[in-house]
Amino acid sequence: MMIECNNLVLGYKDPLTEPFSLSIEDNKWLGIIGENGSGKSTFFRTILSEIKPLSGTIRIFDKTPGVFNRLISYIPQEREINLADKMTGFTLIKSCHSAWKYGFDCLNNKLNHRIYELAELVGATSYILQPFNNLSGGQKKKIFLAQALINKPKLLLLDEPLADLDTKSKHHFIQTLRDINAKQKIGLLMISHDMHEIASYLDAFIHLKKSKVHYCSELPCIKEDSYVGL
Amino acid sequence: MWAYNFMQHALISGILVSTICGIVSVLVVIRRSAFASHALGHMSLTGAAGAIFIGVNPLFGQLILNLIASTIMGIIGDKVKRNDLAVGVVLAFVLGLGSYFLFLFQNNYAGNVISILFGNILAVSTSQIYYLSILFMIVIIILGIFARQLIFASIDPSIANSKNIPIKKLSIVFFIILAITVSMACQIVGALLIFVMLIVPGAIALQWCDSIFKTIILSILVANLSLIFGLYFSFWLNLPVSFFITSSLCSMYLIGFIKNRLF
Repeated sequence: MMIECNNLVLGYKDPLTEPFSLSIEDNKWLGIIGENGSGKSTFFRTILSEIKPLSGTIRIFDKTPGVFNRLISYIPQEREINLADKMTGFTLIKSCHSAWKYGFDCLNNKLNHRIYELAELVGATSYILQPFNNLSGGQKKKIFLAQALINKPKLLLLDEPLADLDTKSKHHFIQTLRDINAKQKIGLLMISHDMHEIASYLDAFIHLKKSKVHYCSELPCIKEDSYVGL
Repeated sequence: MWAYNFMQHALISGILVSTICGIVSVLVVIRRSAFASHALGHMSLTGAAGAIFIGVNPLFGQLILNLIASTIMGIIGDKVKRNDLAVGVVLAFVLGLGSYFLFLFQNNYAGNVISILFGNILAVSTSQIYYLSILFMIVIIILGIFARQLIFASIDPSIANSKNIPIKKLSIVFFIILAITVSMACQIVGALLIFVMLIVPGAIALQWCDSIFKTIILSILVANLSLIFGLYFSFWLNLPVSFFITSSLCSMYLIGFIKNRLF
């Protein structure tokens, strides 16, 4: 089981949700929806063991959170990247490869080849060797996706991945996510307010509303909420 | 000029220090820790002042004080952006201690303290080379073990955290490396100009290179080139080595700056 929650309560000091239980099988593609502050990002942070649940239990790949973080790649909505002006997306992706290991990984032709393959997969080949800081928000998103795939994860956590993308890039990005999910057998959990074009591809939704969390496999279940762009 | 014993010592110790500074300065620039390296340089003065007073090698005083200060700085300021505040707090305390030492013993060792302030590479003894070699090996071993984690945690701290890479422990490791490097580099450029060796080689290399590995190699070359330039002109013109090291490094930085503006 990819994720299994039992009477889980999300929150920092105060609870954000009532106790909820759900099971998500491997290789599923789920959308997480809910208003701002309903606990969507907190759910991700709990999966990554960055914060502890207030009560209840959560298991990731049948282990306690944190044990298999190397199998999870997280793409937050915003983050600090300390790359110098000349450094490229290629450098960012390379630095992430097995970053938890000891030693120094400088000359690795197989790795370079894999980075170019990933750049092609996400559609970033034309600017993978350009200075990262000069790229647009959408281009950076694609580099982040390639970076997230470099360590061959089993689960991708995506926080608002479609923001900053123009229509063409959005279509390509969605197509790439479909390939990743179907061919590479990677489970996807995706927070988005923009489910308009993607809802039909998803296996199910996790719906956070008024402190309640429920798992819904049918679109009508969530259509009543005006903040979900369907 | 290389036949002179003191020049051979200067060259050997200079290469050891420049090589380490070349590597560490890349991390300093990426982690935006210029203030930390500057502050540790100042704190070295307090460590050296205390060591000279009790009759111990100033290098040990610098090293011990810097290691304590850097550990505290690493614990308080584990996030790359939060470091400045932690560094400032520790610096204020240690500088106060330094002024106290100077006040108490101002007649005893003005000459020694000045050599710590401005560096005195032309007076490096065989035993100092021995100590520098040990410190060089310690830094290389620590870097060899933690380089990959340290580089990624510096570039992309949020994702490093999500991968269970110990950000806080790495912050302490980085500051310990910095503390040892500062203690070594004080022998050459002195406490006041330490940040030149610990920032500028990395900053120059980053003007030209697009990968971490190339940047580190170029930074080492730049640091060593400025050292040899400094020793050469200092010998023939009888002016301070640190003046030539700093002016050559700043000139190289200026060239890169103009190149990046024009092209």
